[in-house]
Amino acid sequence: MMQEIGVVARKRRATVPVRWYMTLGVVAALVLLPRVITTPYYLHLLILVLLYVGLSSAWNLTGGFAGQLSLGHAGFFGIGAYASTLLFLNFGLSPWIGMVVGMLLAVVAGAAIGYPCFRLRGPFFALATLAFGEVLRVVSISWRDLTQGSNGLSIPFKPGFANMMWHGKEMFFYVILVYALVAVGIVWQIERSRLGYYLIALKEDDSAARMLGIDTTRCKLYAMLISAALTAVGGVFYAQYVGFIEPYSVFDVNQSVQFALISIIGGLGTVLGPVLGAFIMIPLSEMLRAAFGGAARGFHLVLYGLILMAVVMIVPQGLALEVKDRYKRWWMARQSAISRRKGQADAV
Amino acid sequence: MDLMLGQVLISGILLGGIYALISMGLTLIFGVTRIVNFAHGEFMMLSMFAASVLSQQYGLDPYVAVIPIAALAFLAGAATQRIIIQPLLNASHASQIFVTMGLSITLMNVALMVWGADFQSVRTPYEAVVLPLGPWSVGVPRLVTFLVAVAMMVGLMLFLNRTYMGKAITAVSQDRMAALLMGIDVNRVYVVAFGIGIACVGVAGAVLTPIYSVFPTVGQYFALTAYVVVVLGGFGSMVGAMVGGMSIGVVEALSGYFISPGLKEAVYLLIFIAVLVIRPSGLFGIVGAEEMGVK
Repeated sequence: MMQEIGVVARKRRATVPVRWYMTLGVVAALVLLPRVITTPYYLHLLILVLLYVGLSSAWNLTGGFAGQLSLGHAGFFGIGAYASTLLFLNFGLSPWIGMVVGMLLAVVAGAAIGYPCFRLRGPFFALATLAFGEVLRVVSISWRDLTQGSNGLSIPFKPGFANMMWHGKEMFFYVILVYALVAVGIVWQIERSRLGYYLIALKEDDSAARMLGIDTTRCKLYAMLISAALTAVGGVFYAQYVGFIEPYSVFDVNQSVQFALISIIGGLGTVLGPVLGAFIMIPLSEMLRAAFGGAARGFHLVLYGLILMAVVMIVPQGLALEVKDRYKRWWMARQSAISRRKGQADAV
Repeated sequence: MDLMLGQVLISGILLGGIYALISMGLTLIFGVTRIVNFAHGEFMMLSMFAASVLSQQYGLDPYVAVIPIAALAFLAGAATQRIIIQPLLNASHASQIFVTMGLSITLMNVALMVWGADFQSVRTPYEAVVLPLGPWSVGVPRLVTFLVAVAMMVGLMLFLNRTYMGKAITAVSQDRMAALLMGIDVNRVYVVAFGIGIACVGVAGAVLTPIYSVFPTVGQYFALTAYVVVVLGGFGSMVGAMVGGMSIGVVEALSGYFISPGLKEAVYLLIFIAVLVIRPSGLFGIVGAEEMGVK
């Protein structure tokens, strides 16, 4: 008996640290990356990838875990970007404070659009949130006194930690790395929490979950609010990194689509899905642009569209689950092969 | 009546005819398949380019080019359904939405490669002709568009109510499972409905070329409006599309006149969200039918 407990304990000790070591290893590698990659272009690419890891992880909370396919997250993204930029330009307020304001505004907006729309299913929720993002875009274009309309807002370059601006890209890389890690960490924690289980239950069957006493609307709302706040933070970083925002870039439907797309390609409702998706899709689109962008206008996007269709049709559950499944199947096959060989050996 | 306001109302109603024309194909497709087809606007864009090419190269009037374009669009739509959408009928909404998104990106950029990003417009002798209507005036191309929309509505209603295929399409859009149990070949209905829907938007594209310039992203401009009209009118309802289109057209014209031209989109998008929340079946839809096939 004691021996058995000892075995279990040792096993547990053996399995948990491996995961932690792997995570630590990946993080350490990422932290050291700017020492290896000194080309500004690759560093820029990496920053973009990490930014979208964070943004898509945020989207995945609503779209994947809660199963509410939002196409309006550009709204939260833009709210964050505009909140911090306007506060900085008009009142000289640090973007770090603007970030908090942006998060609060995004949470309010998330509640305002989410609460009435959560009873809409599937495509209807997608359409309603799409309209929500578009309303914000139209308003930001026509409210010229505040936003300068289509001209956009440029942020003057005044480096310093308080202004969230630095010379070179390295410091930005670390800030966005922290953002991506925090976003993934939050999603990971939620997946293992009570809320995470409730979300899985309501995604599978909303009315059954309600029958079991889960307040599904409240769960969806929590997911939406966390997701909105995280997306707004991404918007602030985007504005500070690019130094220029306009309605067509931050409130664009294509931003919402990008967040969703990365999660779907990587794997809806999985922690690693958005990470995998961002590390594949962002470099892919950049690579296609670099390789074919000069040859014929639009050709790289034709390829991009075709690849997107192919991936969705061939791997509808996303790459993360597909890889996991394949690995599991391979592992099982290996195990059964080993035991079969053992059986043969024993028989001999 | 105020002279200016009357003209605004007339232009709103005529604009509504344009929206109705674009939406009829969509209401048919969305009503039957419940798939948000993000490539709908791109099919319209392609047929606008087709009309433009036929007019420039062969001197074919867009109103004549409607016929071959509709036929081609039917084939394109049926093929899209059969090859791209059908394998995903039981997949998640996310997959369905994003496969049409991929199609939209592809088609838009094929157009960009072939025709470039510049605006192209078709010259017709009647493009600037204006008919007097009491103290107000009506542009001929817009009037023709409106009449085509009415004709299309009547034609589709006759088709849906009088023919076997039409009745089958209606049945599938009301209750897919019941239709299947009644012995309807649901997959075939999907293919035909998609084909007809895209043919309708093909007609819309050709008829609109005398009014609007053509460029690769022109479809995006109209696609969301078409969804607003479809939801407002109720899925699968042709009268709904007509009334919904005209309502949106008038709302757009009035809010552009009274509030601000920049905010007219925001006004009807807010109406759209309100309709979705309060009465998702739309004005003329069957209550509860919108939940069908949508888990």
